[in-house]
Amino acid sequence: MPKYKIADIVFSATHLFPYVKKVCKDYLYEGEEPVETELNVTMEDVEFEKSLSKLTFPDEYFESLALYRKFLEYALFHDTIILHSSALAVDGDAFLFTAPSGTGKSTHAKLYREVLKDRVTTINDDKPVVRKVNGEFFVYGTPWDGKHRLSTNSKFKIKAICALKRGEKNQINKISKKQMLLVLLNQTLRPKKEEQVDKTFSLLGELLDSVSLYELHCNISEEAVLVSYGAMSKGE
Amino acid sequence: MKIKKNFILREVAGTYLVVAVGDAVKDFNKAINLNSTGAFLWKQLQVDLTEEELIGKLLEEYEIDRETAKKDILGFIQRLREANLLE
Repeated sequence: MPKYKIADIVFSATHLFPYVKKVCKDYLYEGEEPVETELNVTMEDVEFEKSLSKLTFPDEYFESLALYRKFLEYALFHDTIILHSSALAVDGDAFLFTAPSGTGKSTHAKLYREVLKDRVTTINDDKPVVRKVNGEFFVYGTPWDGKHRLSTNSKFKIKAICALKRGEKNQINKISKKQMLLVLLNQTLRPKKEEQVDKTFSLLGELLDSVSLYELHCNISEEAVLVSYGAMSKGE
Repeated sequence: MKIKKNFILREVAGTYLVVAVGDAVKDFNKAINLNSTGAFLWKQLQVDLTEEELIGKLLEEYEIDRETAKKDILGFIQRLREANLLE
């Protein structure tokens, strides 16, 4: 049974299809740390994922989603949540760009790589996880990394979260915890059980207290990065 | 009138939120943001109350006139109806 380590959580998993092992290959773990939990996806879980999806994909893809859901359900009670966002680090500080699908998170992240070059690490372009460790919040790469398959198995401390909006001009400003909360609520998994809701909310509350929060209106240009990174790196 | 079961009110970062839990999640996957009056009314409607009773509760809690209370409550109830949150 393969072992994986994602967000410093070591688990084993049996697979229905080979695809999942391929997806998770960068997270295969052969170290000595004990396995915390087994996450075994069944055909029933695959059918459940299918029932949630408006689109048709092969079963192996739904298996990957089902494993993701199982991982998140386990990880939640280990202070870990998903924030649908593009996460990258510059010189070791992580920034999360969040927005509804299709706004341009990936495009903005790509501009970061073009402008700031090898100072940038792409952590995960779509579904990174955020974990509280000793009262500080870190973002981790995951194998579920969006259509461009951009991620690295890495961990960085979060400096800021930025809600992205399209604009003609580039402008960035700080926003309140409440404003960011209403953005993030749509970007995390909405759990079913009351204790999961409470845990998710308490982590979100603490996260909002511990990182800087911004809203960026941006176009697709080098200047967008200079405005965005310029303010966030200085904490302005 | 009374709030349906499987909806919970929580406060996060100074913000009141209502979300579904359990079987209600399937048909209701958003969060509703309430102000403090809304949160107060929500708590009252955990038990079955008439509009008059609800107005009475609000007047006990807040220093407002009856007309304002009624207006606030009608607006709130309409919002609950639109979101299909009343039994």
